[in-house]
Amino acid sequence: MSGKWNALQALSFLECNARQRAVGLVDEGSFTELAGPRDRLSSPHLPVLGEAIQFDDGVVTAVGLIGKRPVFVASQEGRFIGGAVGEVGGAKMVNIVRLARQAFDTMSAVKDGLEDARRPAVVISFDTGGVRLHEANAGLLAHAELIDQFQDCKGKVPVIALIGGRVGCFGGMGFVAAAADVLIMSQNGRIGLTGPEVIEEEMGKEEFDASDRALVYRTTGGKHRYIMGDCNVLVADAVAAFRNAVIDALAVPCADIDSRRRIGSLEKVEGQLKLVDLCVRLAPKDSRDVWRYAGNEHPEAVADMSLARFLSSVKRLTDAQGGGTP
Amino acid sequence: MRKQLNELNFEFRADAPKDFPSEFLHYGVVGSGDMEIIMEKKPLGGAVRVKVLTPVSGFSEVWRRVLGRFVNDTRIGNASIEINDCNATPVVGSLRLRQALSEIE
Repeated sequence: MSGKWNALQALSFLECNARQRAVGLVDEGSFTELAGPRDRLSSPHLPVLGEAIQFDDGVVTAVGLIGKRPVFVASQEGRFIGGAVGEVGGAKMVNIVRLARQAFDTMSAVKDGLEDARRPAVVISFDTGGVRLHEANAGLLAHAELIDQFQDCKGKVPVIALIGGRVGCFGGMGFVAAAADVLIMSQNGRIGLTGPEVIEEEMGKEEFDASDRALVYRTTGGKHRYIMGDCNVLVADAVAAFRNAVIDALAVPCADIDSRRRIGSLEKVEGQLKLVDLCVRLAPKDSRDVWRYAGNEHPEAVADMSLARFLSSVKRLTDAQGGGTP
Repeated sequence: MRKQLNELNFEFRADAPKDFPSEFLHYGVVGSGDMEIIMEKKPLGGAVRVKVLTPVSGFSEVWRRVLGRFVNDTRIGNASIEINDCNATPVVGSLRLRQALSEIE
């Protein structure tokens, strides 16, 4: 068993399935799946439409430990209908966050002034194109409920979002991930609202060529999000790298974690408005224009840089330049 | 024609079956052209009962052969198998069944 968990750490986060990610993120031997395949909580809507189902409805929910801390994990399976969020999978995500908050309340009631090292946390590995169109109303509701839950977790339970899967994180789930306290991505991770194919479909190839992978990555990918301040931490594409980044993020005192958020306070909204203003003034034609503005003299070299070189040399958009937040 | 999710049920009996060694086993992802499997120990007088949910129509006989060969080759008995399929080919199906079994150390 021990060999298995260790082997998992070295694997590509991108290539792992949802369950492997969830198992690898928490301490060895501590993974306990909740509402797993054995419970056979699959979608009631898909069979009616003649579509294949999955026993866990495409979301792995579990509780495990990182050190002394109970960590509540949700991990989306991008290979099952593009990780799209339906009624059951959505409810599982909402309830894993709710469980974390209840655990916090219970633990705080037993011992006043719960120390940070024992504080429950939520970790969500996103790999989704957003709502599942077959059950769209229920799926959308889950999006709203998740953001509600995140807000209720504020100051109690840190919520950490991870994006490094094949699908990325698009549609309404782009909002949800952005509403987390900390966002950790790999270069392969992508986040956005309207996905590249949909933009092309709506606005034409001249506006956005979804088959241009380089364009897609420098517009939605981890490096761009890191420069813009949308993502807090950029890591290598390995389970261990994501796990270590989660451990580091949890080491930040809970009182300070709010400063890492993108939204959720008046100051954050003002920051975002400044960014919109900058966008109007700069009128960038390409993300490279913004990279140059941020102080990167050779923006064309950024995309091909190794992660180590990128992290040591890149200039991120600052508050003074009118940047976003984290 | 109305699209539907087909439920196929089979029962197999290997020669001199060995008791299925695991209480519960889950393997695979319902990706495009792929499938997931649950295998459980169940007292069925040595038989193996299989339930397949698949959006593909008209391949019942192919499933029977793939599953029958798997049960005969591996000689498992007293097991219940459930499969959620999403257009897996017979080769992929055969491979996934064997991979699932190899998860038991």
